Amino acid sequence: MPLIDTTQLALERAIQGAGVRQEALTANLANVDTPGYVRKDVDFHAQLAGAMQAGPDAAARLRATGFAPTADSPGAMRADGGTVDADVESARLAQNALEHQALVTVAGARLDVLRAAMGIA
Amino acid sequence: MSLFGTFDVAASGLSAQRLRMDVTAENLANAQSTRGADGGPYRRKEVVLREASGGSSFGAALAGARGGAAAGGAGGVEVAAVVPSQAAPKRVHDPGHPDADADGNVLMPDINPVTEMVDLIGAQRAYEANVTAMQSAKSMFSKTLELLR
Repeated sequence: MPLIDTTQLALERAIQGAGVRQEALTANLANVDTPGYVRKDVDFHAQLAGAMQAGPDAAARLRATGFAPTADSPGAMRADGGTVDADVESARLAQNALEHQALVTVAGARLDVLRAAMGIA
Repeated sequence: MSLFGTFDVAASGLSAQRLRMDVTAENLANAQSTRGADGGPYRRKEVVLREASGGSSFGAALAGARGGAAAGGAGGVEVAAVVPSQAAPKRVHDPGHPDADADGNVLMPDINPVTEMVDLIGAQRAYEANVTAMQSAKSMFSKTLELLR
């Protein structure tokens, strides 16, 4: 088993995905009053879940996974064409920040285990 | 690193909303101005926002130069224009006014203080939302830095 296993790699990728998602959600909030703006989001969960299904290739798939924001299909919108709801966006922002914090905490705890095993904790 | 980009995006929202507040304050201050910049009465101004293209920051340029797919993240918001309103000025009968015409009518700016106050509140709420987003990114980033300890 390598020192940085697939789980640790997935945690690191998820932390990066949450960072990219935070940027997309912040851009939605910045454009809350922009006419015709279509909100964007990053579905990093689905991308990572797909990579984790790859069995022995999971680590390589995880390393190759990149995250990019995708625009929602314009559904219900305001009269000016904007689709951002400031309340919903704030809730998503808070949720994503907490998720990022949880991921960082777990990744840090796993690194602490490694440090303890090496006697440098 | 995307979290630094988040700061830029939130900052673009802050400056756009601040400009909206400035323009609204200017409209309120000039509600009685009969001599605007173009000679006639002051015309109400309105801010037009648009989505910024992004990719002009140092980080985006570096990522692009390295051939990365990370080039050109979210760009935030920018002010496209500040346009004067096309609404006709109000005609008020006030023969004593220095700018009154031969019939005693004065052209006044078509500014409704209630509309301006609603705009002001909207800009204020949007500003606060961007501040919250920035604080959230700040705590996320400092939490990530704790991994190095």
